Amino acid sequence: MPLAPITLAPITLAHFLLTGAILFALGMVGFLTRRNMIIIFLCTEMMFQGIVISLVAFARFHNNVVGQTFVIFVLTIAAAEAALALGLVVLLFRRKRTLDALAWSQLKG
Amino acid sequence: MDYSLYIATVLGAAALLMIMPRGRRSPLPKLGGLLGAATLGGLWLYLARALPEGWGISGGAVAMTYYYIFSAIAVVSAVRVITHTKPVYAALWFVMVMLATAGMFLLVGAEFMAFALVIIYGGAILVTYVFVIMLAAQAAEPGREEQTPAYDRVAWEPMAAVVAGFLLMAMVLSVVFPAPGLALEPNPAAAELSDQQILATTLTHRTPERLAHPGTPQPAAGSSPLAAQARQVTNVERIGLDLFQGNILGLELAGVILLVSLVGAVVIAKQQVPEESEKT
Repeated sequence: MPLAPITLAPITLAHFLLTGAILFALGMVGFLTRRNMIIIFLCTEMMFQGIVISLVAFARFHNNVVGQTFVIFVLTIAAAEAALALGLVVLLFRRKRTLDALAWSQLKG
Repeated sequence: MDYSLYIATVLGAAALLMIMPRGRRSPLPKLGGLLGAATLGGLWLYLARALPEGWGISGGAVAMTYYYIFSAIAVVSAVRVITHTKPVYAALWFVMVMLATAGMFLLVGAEFMAFALVIIYGGAILVTYVFVIMLAAQAAEPGREEQTPAYDRVAWEPMAAVVAGFLLMAMVLSVVFPAPGLALEPNPAAAELSDQQILATTLTHRTPERLAHPGTPQPAAGSSPLAAQARQVTNVERIGLDLFQGNILGLELAGVILLVSLVGAVVIAKQQVPEESEKT
């Protein structure tokens, strides 16, 4: 009995890991270059997407669903992080009336 | 030693560096877009070349076409997320990344995860982001109402960030690609074995078919569980069993984390802050 009705014969694990790596790297570049605090957190969500693709591909590769169940926990953490981070962003915005991350560069000390 | 992937990485880094917003009009982003598209196309052609024989005949060609389409949508949308100068559009491009990821999940037979991703990310998290972008909209500078603020129009340290990100990617690729021939298909015998274990644990009078049609006769006792139930194990059944048999503590902890973040978000949001008079 096949695991899924569609056969994936020519696609290898490396294909999905490549897509995951590209998404993770792009999310990291965005995290470092953008100065809008909301977009910075959006880029962390994109890094999560890269990880999630790798997890699901490994789940298929090893023929168990542990990778897929782990994605549920990743989604939970992403939702909790989005709620907390966006609350903080709104708080910071009300204090300085700007979303610029460089406005808080005095935190460097 | 095969250097093609590293060349593609360097070209992609150069293309991304050219696309980065600079706050003034220049033909560089369009050139960078062309270079990026060419790099992506070359990379896909290279990957297709590295495939085993006979991929054009089997049913897997369909899956591969879908893989390349979804992957290209995801990568292009991801580039637009990090280079678009308007935050709302960046959030909408992120929805495209998420939808392409869900398509790839459908491809590997993870239906539940695909729909959970669309519902949770597209339905909950992205709506929160768009709401906050709307709430935190800054008043435009007088005379230039169309333009977004300067911190959205100019990328910060694009060179260092692109070098760091693509160094990381080259490292990951050097680990992944020494063995490109690892097929994604699991061992069929192992798949059947795990399916039989799942069928043996589910009660015969509570299968989805029996719940939908209560009049179905009971299967004969003594036969193997797979033949007795005469059905396929669905992806949702597998995830449900794994979640509630193996990860029950993690599930409870996830609930606690959600509750704590709910309380924390309320506490953070209801604080009264004094507005600083000086502008930075």
